[in-house]
Order: sequence, then C-alpha cells, then structure tokens
Amino acid sequence: MRIRLLDTGPSAGALNMGIDEAVLLSVSRGESPPSLRFYGWKPSCITVGYFQSMQEEVDLGACRHRGIDAVRRITGGGAVFHQAEITYSIVLPAGRGLACDDILESYRGICGALVLGLARLGIESAFSPINDITSGGRKVSGNAQTRKQGCLLQHGTVLLDLDLDLMFSLLKVPAEKLKGRLIEDAKARVVSLRDLLGRPVGFEEARSALASGFAAVLAGSGDELEEGELSGSELAEGRIIASERFSSLAWNLRR
Amino acid sequence: MTLRKDHKVAAGKLIRVRIEVEQARALEVRVGGDFFAHPEDAFEEAEASLSGTGLAALPAAAAAAFSRPGLVIFGAGAADIAEALRRAIDENQAP
Repeated sequence: MRIRLLDTGPSAGALNMGIDEAVLLSVSRGESPPSLRFYGWKPSCITVGYFQSMQEEVDLGACRHRGIDAVRRITGGGAVFHQAEITYSIVLPAGRGLACDDILESYRGICGALVLGLARLGIESAFSPINDITSGGRKVSGNAQTRKQGCLLQHGTVLLDLDLDLMFSLLKVPAEKLKGRLIEDAKARVVSLRDLLGRPVGFEEARSALASGFAAVLAGSGDELEEGELSGSELAEGRIIASERFSSLAWNLRR
Repeated sequence: MTLRKDHKVAAGKLIRVRIEVEQARALEVRVGGDFFAHPEDAFEEAEASLSGTGLAALPAAAAAAFSRPGLVIFGAGAADIAEALRRAIDENQAP
C-alpha cells in the first residue's frame, strides 16, 4: 500500500487539528491515500486532550497575552505546549499493520517508527507505554491516538527544544508556590533533542530522520512511503473544520 | 453545589471529577483527565448515564457504566473513576 508523505509546515493550532481530521475523513471516504504528515505550529499553541477541561488546565488569559493559541484535540491524553517541536500525524485504515485492532500494539508499532527515526539522529530511545517515548528515562515524545470512520489517527510530537518556564506560565498549576518545584520536576522528566545531542536540531533534519524511521517500519508490512501533497479539497475541508470546530468556544470549552 | 476531586491513578493518569449536586442526586457528572478512552463517544455515553443517580449509589453506578462492553480506557479504570467519585462525595460529607 502506498502511504502519502506530507510536509505542511507550520500552521495555527485550529488549522493543524482541522487538517488532521480532514485527512482522516478523506482517507475514510477513499478519496486520499493513507497519509503521514509532518507539521509545526505558528503561533505556538497549547492543545488539551479530548477529556480535559481547557479552563481547568490552561491559563487562557496568559495565552491571549502572549499570542498563543489554545485548542482542544479530538484525541485523549494531556495538555501539550507546541512550540519548538516537530509534530506528525498518521492516518491509516484500521485493522491491519500499524493500525492493528490492539490499540496498545498500534501505539507500540507507530512509536517504534519514531524510535527508529531518533536512532538515525544518534539518539537511543524506547517506547514507554501507554503513549510516550523516553530517552534515558526522560520523555522526548508524547503521542495520542483515536479511531474514527474506520481509520486510525495518531498524532504526536518530538521535542526539538524546551522552554519549561514559558510552558508553566501558560498551564494552570495547583498552587503558585508549587510552580518552581513543578518546573524542576519537569526538567528531570522531559528532554529535548537539543538537550540529548548538545546541539540544535532543526525541523528539516528531524523530519528527514523520522520519515526514514517510518519508511523502514512501513516497509515491514509491505507499505511504501511516497511524497505527496495535501489536496485542495482536504485543505478546504480542514479550514472549515478549523473554523467551525477548533476555533469555537463551544468545542474548546465543552468539558 | 459542585463537588470536585482530582485522583491520580497509581502508575496511570490523572482523573478529575466534577459532580453537580442537587438534593443528594448528581445532576451532571464530568469525568475528565489525561487518559484515553476508545471510542470516545462510549465514554461520554457512560458519563451521561450517571445523571440523576443518587450520590450514595454513584460510585457503584460509575463502576458499572464505565465497564460497559466495547469501551476501553487506558491510564485509568472504571474502579479508579468510581474511587475518584467516592472521594469527592466522602470529602464533602467529612465533618
């Protein structure tokens, strides 16, 4: 099976989530091939998991003040600050290969592609169930999966760099006096590619390495990665979904 | 009255429950957190099914509702959700 490889560059959070869903819908209708997309975020954005309350998790006033978007995802999991990172999303018909029926196994398979990609950068890492990838015991990637319309959508991030002070200025913490300790704890638990390699890693370098990891893993199930483009109708549908859902308070503040 | 409780599952995710209460019944129950549930709709149906349940029966009703066939939750279990609700209710009744 041919898997389309997309690089859509940086977009606003609502559009990024809209495109992810538009690709899923297009694949489910048989209009687009299964796809792997890499993208970034401009402006920076906080996303919260489907079951989280935006108002409980995010300081929306601080986000507005700093020009940072806040969007609720269609996938579960926790709040993520998307700043200096590379994000991927993969959409596959459910039921075979990396989209096998066993959800934890499919996390393991897709995260395995990322682990292989990180190895191409010289980073040793491992899948850490349920949904993380760690290196030296510290989290370098978080991932989230949903299944809709007969398809799997998994998206996730790999940290290129990390600004925990900024991140914690945007997230609500139980008590202001705990913020310093939370930042110290997070420094011990989270790591970026820059920290691991002692040099900055750009989006392009990371994209190339991660795509190579996916290509190798997909080849194992007879699938081939092939560069392609987002179709005009996918982009148009993504914009509509971004506007009607991911930019709306009714969606973002629903829980 | 609103009851709230955060409950960190051992080696799992954080559950944040919110119960809107009137006359010892749950008008609305929200079970939030950073867990994963598949399919998401089934989780929300289980959540909605708890509306109107008496507080005393709520933890057991939740344990049953979130154990429904076809619903898979990662990072938390139906028993953990029941425990979070029990703690929210018990803390409110503590002297």
